[in-house]
Amino acid sequence: MLRNNKIKLIFILPAALWVLAFTIFPLFYGLRLSLYNVKIGFPDEFIGLKNYISFFTDHYAFNAVIVTLIFVIVGVAIEMTLGMLIALLFNRPLPIRGFLRTIMTTPLFATPIAVGFLFFTIFYEEGGLINGLINIKIPWLSRANWALFSVILVDVWQWTPFCFLIFLAALQGVPDDYYEAARLETKSGWNIFRYVVFPILQPTIILVLLLRGTEAFKIFDIPFTLTTGGPGTATQGLTMYAYRVGMRFFNFGYSSAISFLLFIIVMVFITVMFKRIRQIYQ
Amino acid sequence: MKKVRKIFKRRNINLVTYFILALIVAGITFLPFYWAISLSIRNPIEAFTVTGLAIPFIQYKPTLENWKEELATGETQKSLLNSAIIAICTSIAVIILGTPAAYAIARFRFRKPSNSNIIVWFLSQRVLPPAATVIPFFLIMIFFKLLDTRLALIMVNTTFNLPFVVVLMRQAFLDLPIELEEAALVDGAGFFTIFWKISLRLAAPSLVAAVLIVFAFTWNEFLFALTIGTIHVRTIPVLMSGAVDTRGIQFWFVAVRMLIAASPPVILALFAQRFIVRGLSFGAVKG
Repeated sequence: MLRNNKIKLIFILPAALWVLAFTIFPLFYGLRLSLYNVKIGFPDEFIGLKNYISFFTDHYAFNAVIVTLIFVIVGVAIEMTLGMLIALLFNRPLPIRGFLRTIMTTPLFATPIAVGFLFFTIFYEEGGLINGLINIKIPWLSRANWALFSVILVDVWQWTPFCFLIFLAALQGVPDDYYEAARLETKSGWNIFRYVVFPILQPTIILVLLLRGTEAFKIFDIPFTLTTGGPGTATQGLTMYAYRVGMRFFNFGYSSAISFLLFIIVMVFITVMFKRIRQIYQ
Repeated sequence: MKKVRKIFKRRNINLVTYFILALIVAGITFLPFYWAISLSIRNPIEAFTVTGLAIPFIQYKPTLENWKEELATGETQKSLLNSAIIAICTSIAVIILGTPAAYAIARFRFRKPSNSNIIVWFLSQRVLPPAATVIPFFLIMIFFKLLDTRLALIMVNTTFNLPFVVVLMRQAFLDLPIELEEAALVDGAGFFTIFWKISLRLAAPSLVAAVLIVFAFTWNEFLFALTIGTIHVRTIPVLMSGAVDTRGIQFWFVAVRMLIAASPPVILALFAQRFIVRGLSFGAVKG
């Protein structure tokens, strides 16, 4: 660590001030908006906690919370499990492993909006890819439960590679001696995983859970194009509901209240994991 | 194939099973892209009639008409330009603001707040749901008469990518040997010269990775592009989302657009292969 001095402030302040100005200020402004009835062209009218009270009596909002939670919990659980299994698979000396790994990274950066549309054609009931292949007419997008499942499936396709890549990197960091020592004790692959690999990977698993979890709460792009939140409101998460209330019905106050509650949910999630995160970034 | 045969000879059935499994996993991952390519070179009439895997030349005669038509559209060209300008400017702004901050956190000792608090604070800005600030940003941009300008989108994207670059580059600087910098310090070089001439150059690979990933994130960003830039500065994702209302979903154009939209970030990411893991885990896991 270098000592001194004033120069460190010149280095850090532009970025710190920028982030402060552009996140803290909008956040407080959002908090203020959520306490007002805001209409463009009219002076804002203070209504206290009314927006928050209506949130708890609004069944669309309740539905959006449930949809978001199902999406986050089921989606992230599948992604992490699959990611771990595929990472264990790729942690063996397979032929053309590098090439296959490269293919696995392609979904990560594919534009989510475009991915949503693409899967619309893949899930299409007549002449779409999947129904064409299996020759059964599954109502991927037209039934409420199937639609939510389809959205999760698309997210799994796009983000399992993320879990896979990070788990694989972590697995490859486990020294071979550990496995050899463990093999003297037990023959069961599961036991080696459970008592040797898993404890070493635990910080990584928590990191992935944090990054994927917070990212999944933001779900917007894929249902926006894949299902437009439907059928009905079956795939309308919190972000999309806040967007609709704000940008379609121009109820900025209520929209801000919804966004703020989403923010609080995510903050609770982060705070729970805060100690672990600090250790990882120490 | 030779390798595969050798494995068979060794009768290592386990490995063959695992290899086939890996092939299936990679195949499923790639299948949607294959489907997009196949749709994009299909005659519109055949979009729904050709079923199953839709193998070109066997099941239908491929054509480039859809591509020509889509790329000749003024709107598409304009959106590509918008997306490119916004993504490039954001990458530059983020690097200019972010790398010095990352360097300071990696090399200097801060007391109040401490280094680890600063880095966790930056990290928490990245995980903040953008929905929480979208309406405030919208109203602020109206107030400053910046609504529907590229500048507004560059500012917003800079805000959301800055924490990512700070966290990632801090790790990159930490991984550099400090001796070189200390030697330069003894020789009388200033901190700024050291940062610019030594550290930044040594950290160039991570810097490239950061730029590529920020470019991809910005290129793909949708929520803010949709609320803040809807008419004059439509980016590619916004153009895609709007096209459906007016034309109905035309699969062949959807496929072409999907490939146009997704190719730049996907291809860039392939170049950044080595750094993706480090980048996406914010420097916590080394790939």
